[in-house]
Amino acid sequence: MSDLIVEEVPAQAGGDLALVAASPWRLARRRLLRNRVAMAMAGLLAVIVVLCLLAPVYAHDVAHTDPFSSNLDGTTIVNGKSVPVMESSTQGLGLGVTPIGPTWDLHHYFLGADGQGRDVAARLLYGGRNSLLIGTSAALITCILAVLIGVVAGFFGGLVDGVLSRLLDVVWAFPVYLLAISLSTVLISRGFSLGPLHLTSGSLLLPITIIGLVYIPYVARPIRGEVLSLRRREFVEAAIGLGASNWRLLWSEILPNVVTTAIVLFPLMLAIDMLTEAALSFLSIGVQEPKASWGTIILDGQDVLYTRPAVALAPGIAIALTVLALNVLGDGIRDALDPRAKLRRTD
Amino acid sequence: MVRNRRALLAVVAAALVAVVATGSSGATAQSHRGGTLKLLANAAGGTLDPQVNYTLQYWQLYQATYDGLLAFQKAGGAAAFNVVPDLASSYTIKNGGKSWVFTLRKGIKFSNGRPVTVNDVVASFRRIFKVKSPTAGGFYSGIVGATACLKTPATCTLKGGVSGDAKTNTVTINLTAPDAEFKFKLAVPHASILPASAPSSDAGTKPIPGTGAYYFASYDPNKELVMKRNPYFHQWSQAAQPDGYPDQITQSFGLTVEAQVTAIENGQADWGYDFPPADRLNELGTKYAAQTHLTPLTAFWYAPMNVNIPPFNNLKARQAVNYAIDRNALIKIFGGSKLATPSCQVLPPGFPGYKPYCPYTKNPGSTWSAPDVAKAKQLVAQSGEKGAKVVVISANDEVQKAVGVYLASVLNEIGFKATAKAISGNIAFTYPQNTKNHVQINVQQWYQDYPAASDFLHILFGCESFHPGSDSSINMAGFCDKAINAQMHQALKMEVTSFPKANALWSKIDREVTDQAPMATMFTPKHLDFVSKRVGNFVFSKQFYWLVDQSWVQ
Amino acid sequence: MLRFVLRRFVSMIFVLFSISVLSFLIFFATPGVDPAARIAGRNADQRTLAAVRHDFGLDRPLPIRYALMMKKLFITRDLTSYVNRGAKVIPQVTQAAPVTLSLVFGAAVIWVVVSIAMGMLAGVFRGTWIDTAVMIVGLIGISMPVFWLGEVVNLITQSRLHGSVFSWVPPLGYIPFSQSPWGWFKSLLFPWLTLSILYIGIYARVLRSAIVEAQEEDYVRTARAKGLTERRVLFRHALRTSLVGFVSLFGLDFGALVGGGALLTEVVFGLHGVGKLTFDSLQNLDLPVILATVIYAAFFVVAANAVVDLVYAWLDPRVRRA
Repeated sequence: MSDLIVEEVPAQAGGDLALVAASPWRLARRRLLRNRVAMAMAGLLAVIVVLCLLAPVYAHDVAHTDPFSSNLDGTTIVNGKSVPVMESSTQGLGLGVTPIGPTWDLHHYFLGADGQGRDVAARLLYGGRNSLLIGTSAALITCILAVLIGVVAGFFGGLVDGVLSRLLDVVWAFPVYLLAISLSTVLISRGFSLGPLHLTSGSLLLPITIIGLVYIPYVARPIRGEVLSLRRREFVEAAIGLGASNWRLLWSEILPNVVTTAIVLFPLMLAIDMLTEAALSFLSIGVQEPKASWGTIILDGQDVLYTRPAVALAPGIAIALTVLALNVLGDGIRDALDPRAKLRRTD
Repeated sequence: MVRNRRALLAVVAAALVAVVATGSSGATAQSHRGGTLKLLANAAGGTLDPQVNYTLQYWQLYQATYDGLLAFQKAGGAAAFNVVPDLASSYTIKNGGKSWVFTLRKGIKFSNGRPVTVNDVVASFRRIFKVKSPTAGGFYSGIVGATACLKTPATCTLKGGVSGDAKTNTVTINLTAPDAEFKFKLAVPHASILPASAPSSDAGTKPIPGTGAYYFASYDPNKELVMKRNPYFHQWSQAAQPDGYPDQITQSFGLTVEAQVTAIENGQADWGYDFPPADRLNELGTKYAAQTHLTPLTAFWYAPMNVNIPPFNNLKARQAVNYAIDRNALIKIFGGSKLATPSCQVLPPGFPGYKPYCPYTKNPGSTWSAPDVAKAKQLVAQSGEKGAKVVVISANDEVQKAVGVYLASVLNEIGFKATAKAISGNIAFTYPQNTKNHVQINVQQWYQDYPAASDFLHILFGCESFHPGSDSSINMAGFCDKAINAQMHQALKMEVTSFPKANALWSKIDREVTDQAPMATMFTPKHLDFVSKRVGNFVFSKQFYWLVDQSWVQ
Repeated sequence: MLRFVLRRFVSMIFVLFSISVLSFLIFFATPGVDPAARIAGRNADQRTLAAVRHDFGLDRPLPIRYALMMKKLFITRDLTSYVNRGAKVIPQVTQAAPVTLSLVFGAAVIWVVVSIAMGMLAGVFRGTWIDTAVMIVGLIGISMPVFWLGEVVNLITQSRLHGSVFSWVPPLGYIPFSQSPWGWFKSLLFPWLTLSILYIGIYARVLRSAIVEAQEEDYVRTARAKGLTERRVLFRHALRTSLVGFVSLFGLDFGALVGGGALLTEVVFGLHGVGKLTFDSLQNLDLPVILATVIYAAFFVVAANAVVDLVYAWLDPRVRRA
């Protein structure tokens, strides 16, 4: 991860624009492919994504279960014997009902059942699809809007910058989870309607939008800073001197640099977004039942934590692995694209 | 009277009555006197004002701290539904049920040392309106002059409604119409008699002196509520306000339910207000069976269905839901078959007017046996509402949320397209009431205020409880059937002359409402009290639950 | 410098004001928020409802209600909750603050000490397996959801091993320092560790890269050329300069956490701190408490930002003009 530091020069010097535009990407790819740890993590990520995409196949053809419908009175087969999925206590006063634990049999409640008697393994895969979808979409929203805001604020300066920066300040000062919670509480309980766009309360678009919006300042601020400093750079000043138009400048000088930053930040944002999604769903203001995400499964697992810890453990491990892979991969991409970049990691 | 009562009481309660009534075993009772009873609750129950607070959490404690003119008997089992004279030594009903005359007992003092006078009684009734008690309009609007008081509470006098005569030590309450249930309404905490000097607005966290065996010594909603012995208390009626055992009762706030159970198991506390988490139930039922008390409640869990908007404006769609719900599965969510019993109707077992009735089961009759999903699917198909989108609203606590998820699953199974939505427990009661929020079906429970069938049927399904556009419209189904409502009024009138006759009519109304299915009844819950090892003499009143001060800790 | 301080102060007030207005508006955009029915009580009469609405000023125009609420919050300081009728808001915040402070302070001590050790270890052994191992451990810490980690910790200390190794762990919840210092420590030890694990990872990485960078700087090379020992160079020069970035990051994180950012840790461990209070109030739609806690939280975030900016400005005069 560290032996690459001395090597990079062209992007910083910015002498030959054509060369800068063409070669860094190839160079970066070569560097990334050489980073074995990062590649291993990319492989892990690919496996997780494929497994999650195969969720319907698993639920339908392997486990023969509907992970979205309650199965409180159902039975399943363990060691050839039929047992209830939700077992009522028969001892003492006979209080309490316990869902079946992990059977380690891929065909019958591999990871056990949750409080509704649903197959946790199947829900885990379906939940992964939602978690990944929300994370990716939110990270895209964040990066695209942040680039837009950052570039506009940094490039045009003056009043535009003033307004946008204050806006970012306000969002920034609102603790992330609190802002997300406020927005979720509002939107989740009513849904949102704007022209032809109608989001019902259970829509995944809600958590996506919310998570996407709250992290904008974290990306937009560094990008604005970058644009400001790029504008002051000699090569841009030189281009202005040569009579280049604003738009040409933006297009050919500033955007390529900014996009690099956004690409470097993307996997890290994705990691953060997945953690945030999990947190919101855990606080029951993210993905809504009967849909699942890794966060909601952890929440379901909390109710049976002491008796059936597997329900909460499995999605947590899935999140940790995915986020770890994204972080390492993100580091790799950063090192590959811009070895000298010092990006402030947000939490 | 004592003999009669004994027959009804649970064994423990009978033992208590024997102890105090005969006095022969006074030494035993004396040896249990003293100590501190430590109660726990996750959060405080809000204002401590007995005329404003409407939570079970504090109503339970008001039993030992405040008195009304009348009181529910402090006893176990069904005897708790008896209304006995409390601060009044006796009362007579005149003028065809429109005038109630109470004679006050002498020598009773508030915990601040001041004697209870007719002035205090009159002021307390005015105060119900001045502090805008939640039930001011519901329970006490029948008092002459109440209409003006509801309109302009600040200047409330109840002229012609409540008057006191210091010479004869009597108080007269005049009603606009006879009301057989008025005696119940006088026995709930909102009709507590407080000093005339009590503030004329919600007292909030500042305790108001009372007449009970205990008084509230301090209250900090973020920390704890402390009850101490009322130094001016002497027992005037064992049935209305018995002396208690512990010297001090505290309720501490802030521990999670999980931690409450652990603390009680370890003997660091004596009881927790909140329902234990599902994954601890087995442990309580086995290792701590002797400390776990289960009592059936007069309550029901139900899912009101909005009869004014699709798809549940269609009777067949509503009945389909009733047929499809597997009550046994729901009870599993609630903690197992020992904690609740399946039900299809409005009135709970043991309640006035209750006659078992269940049309929505495999073999229709009096009790529920199994869901009839085929019939439900058929009804949905006939209703033409197949594929309709439904959102099931529930509170976001563990059990109610799970019930909501289960209902959504059932609705999907029979042909609707349902999702579940859990909202904060604090708005889960008011949000579905407002027609503007377009709630189709939601998860609710109703626990009785007082033992009369109208408290379920008329309040929850009467036309008078439906107020479109208001957050206070407790008839969440928006159910208003003119014929049924007329019968309800007829039954209310009949109560004045004969409760048994009226109750027969209420049974009929219960069946008719059930047939119209403005709700899907799920089950009748039991109450679980988990107490520490040292708690003795556990007495459970059906009206106000565990009588905390009647238990001893040493 | 004074002008800069003043400007920062004005912008701080502006941000706080905007946040309070924003919270207020978000609140009224939420359905089912009219607290009148909740205040009035179950099945209240329509006339009682109207009277309560009038009493609480709920029938006044929004700007007036906002002004009234701010007056009650800051001037008369007697703002009361919508849910816990009669409960004052400010004592709720002041009682929650020590819990959060205890949690964040203890966690901060742990994460600063451990991350400095890890960051230096990795920085010194740059490029070796030690570096890689330390950094991967740090990354694992960053990658775990904190609430999940808390649940796992609870599972072990409250249930699975509670009978043996962890029998000394008190039930979830907070024990005030004044009540029992030892109990306070025991009740907070695992929340501290859980909360700090995330930050250990982040700070170790920040410190490592700062050290690596500092070692490339001219003055460190000069110091090395002057014949100072490697350790001296590291401690006296590289570490000291690296700490500037570290400290500013710490300022921001500490501010955010004290302001309620430790919400998830508080929820999982049953600690009634500011984060939990804010979350509860949002769930309960208790506007007075929401406003108080959000303003409180934002204050810490904004103040931390301002302090960090001031420190920077003090260190680097160019910033003042930016």
